[in-house]
Amino acid sequence: MKSINKTTAILMILTLFSGSAFAQDKITVKGSDTMIILAQKWAELYMKNNKTSIIQVTGGGSGVGITALINGTTDIANASRQMKQAEIEKLKARYNTLGVEIRCAKDGVTIFLNEANKVNELTLKQLSDIYTGKIRNWKELGGNDAEIRLYGRENSSGTYVFFHDEVVKADYSSDVQSLPGTAAVVNAVKKDVNGIGYGGAAYSVGVKQALVKKDANSKAYTPTAESIAKNDYPITRYLYMYLRNRPTGETKKYIDWILGPEGQSIVTEVGYFPVK
Amino acid sequence: MKITVKLKPLSMKKLFSFLIISVTGLCGFSQIAMVDSLKDVISNHEGKLNALDDRVLVNEADLSKLNKIKISGYIQSQWDYYSKDLVKTNEPTNTFYIRRARLKFTYEPADGVKFVLQPDFSTGNLTLKDAYAVVNVPFLKDWTLWAGQFNRPDYEVEYSSSQREVLERSRFIRAIYPGEREIGAKMEYIGSIIPLKFQLMVMNGDFTGTTAKDVDSKKDIMTRLVYSVKMPSAGLGIDFGVNGYFGGNRAKTNQYVLESNGVLDSTNVGDYLKKQWYGAEIQIFADVLGGLALKGEYVAGTNSTPSTISATSTMAQKMASPNTVMNFSGYYVYLIKNIGSKNQFVAKYDYYDPNTKLSGDAAGANVYYKTLTLAWQYYLNDNIRISVNYEMPQNEKSASVKNIAGTGDTQLKDNTLGIRIQAKF
Repeated sequence: MKSINKTTAILMILTLFSGSAFAQDKITVKGSDTMIILAQKWAELYMKNNKTSIIQVTGGGSGVGITALINGTTDIANASRQMKQAEIEKLKARYNTLGVEIRCAKDGVTIFLNEANKVNELTLKQLSDIYTGKIRNWKELGGNDAEIRLYGRENSSGTYVFFHDEVVKADYSSDVQSLPGTAAVVNAVKKDVNGIGYGGAAYSVGVKQALVKKDANSKAYTPTAESIAKNDYPITRYLYMYLRNRPTGETKKYIDWILGPEGQSIVTEVGYFPVK
Repeated sequence: MKITVKLKPLSMKKLFSFLIISVTGLCGFSQIAMVDSLKDVISNHEGKLNALDDRVLVNEADLSKLNKIKISGYIQSQWDYYSKDLVKTNEPTNTFYIRRARLKFTYEPADGVKFVLQPDFSTGNLTLKDAYAVVNVPFLKDWTLWAGQFNRPDYEVEYSSSQREVLERSRFIRAIYPGEREIGAKMEYIGSIIPLKFQLMVMNGDFTGTTAKDVDSKKDIMTRLVYSVKMPSAGLGIDFGVNGYFGGNRAKTNQYVLESNGVLDSTNVGDYLKKQWYGAEIQIFADVLGGLALKGEYVAGTNSTPSTISATSTMAQKMASPNTVMNFSGYYVYLIKNIGSKNQFVAKYDYYDPNTKLSGDAAGANVYYKTLTLAWQYYLNDNIRISVNYEMPQNEKSASVKNIAGTGDTQLKDNTLGIRIQAKF
């Protein structure tokens, strides 16, 4: 009887462990829309080479991803901004960890202008004034006498938060049209001669990238591999992956692959910049 | 008579030409009519679209206002089973009840401005828990100003009961911060670069949940400073800090004061009775096969309780219900271990001695309590949490405890098993 009980116990433990091992094969990734093309490409290539792995990628915005991480509905949260202290507190309260932050790529928040726009260069101060509504006409920036039309992201977006905290540093103008995703911002600017938008560098197709400088006396840069690597581009940021606990098993393998040469080459291929 | 009309080939051509011109003309005419009609339709639709656009703009404006209002809340439905000394004559051994039923309304009209209103609808107990405004202090990055009714700045007080791992706060926290909230103003700094949190609160100092205004002119001050250390490579985070309370109560109706040494002294009505204590806290979070936390706080100092006896009472009655000013100490330690993503085991030990100068029979009713609590949390999903909590208080042996128990035992049998289902949204 005793041996039966022991066998049953061992079988139960093995079942539990094997269950968790199987569960680890499926990794859910949620969050940043800026990172979605990158995350999908990573998942696609990883699954191609690791047939037993299932990586499910969805967007929604950095805020949505982090909330899902706190609620336990995703394994990895992609974020184009750092976790806020309030979010870390929620993670502490629910899981008793501070979360794990992984810098997986670099990005330059790009200022999108219509190709017909005469304006080429903007300072951080001018960008702040544009997005707070202090500067309302392209004429004030050396462009045409036309009203500036502002395009931006929804407040669940990490790019929205990052751009607010690092560039705008005040309330966004109520005239900003919030669009769901950087692709939509680029598309709007492409069609609107007087439009301006911001977003991840990888989406910059069919629009003009404004040269950005810290102040009137600084040199202006566009987000290039060199200007990002040297942190010369004034709106450089990291792209992050967040986990509740230190990664183990399949999740660790996947993250190691992302940070390795193959994963980082995809970063460049997609239009972002490698971390190292 | 037979009439024959013979059409010449040329006439046939003319006829065809006439027909073609007529048809084309008609087509042209009908095309013009169609274009006009289409123009009308487009113009009609354009008008409708413009009207829709206006309506969408109005709705968007309304929605953006609604987006600024957040409603959250939670309901805690509980069943308690009491050990026998807690069950006085004719009182039940167990009960179902609603521990908390709260709705929290948060309105953020602009960045850096927040209004919060939180009533509690527990059965027969409609109370206002929070009512405050928070604004970012202009030109002082990372500083906020709070005004209204809100939690006192203490770790266990500020830690929401919807998140707390055991059903109730520590005994000493409940004693020195009754109702958790206070009415006043607070300056708070949460460093975005330096991992430092500083809180300074000025408050009435006599809030029990119903006192709408201060009963004396002096204000109490509470301050707390917490520093955070992160060691990501070790999966470790440590928050540690200190806090202090500086205030008093006015002896309103009674000149008699019972102090820690058990001697009844007299003072003047209107004098201030000291309330002053210092505390230290630490919270350690470690990523060890899932989350593990060790949290503790120690507080010691002088607490006072004003007598509520009528000013017209006899001297003997006043002496029997004096004001109290006593040295006290208390601490708690939590050990919390997450098991997988849905389960959590908790062991908590807390201690409260309301009078540190006297012990045993001499302490009278002010005996110390050591309470061990074991709890298990199960998170069914994002919204539902089931808690099983067993609280085992042990009191200091004293003659007065015999009277409380009514059994002659000096150790009260007052363990409580609590099972709670919490629905949060």
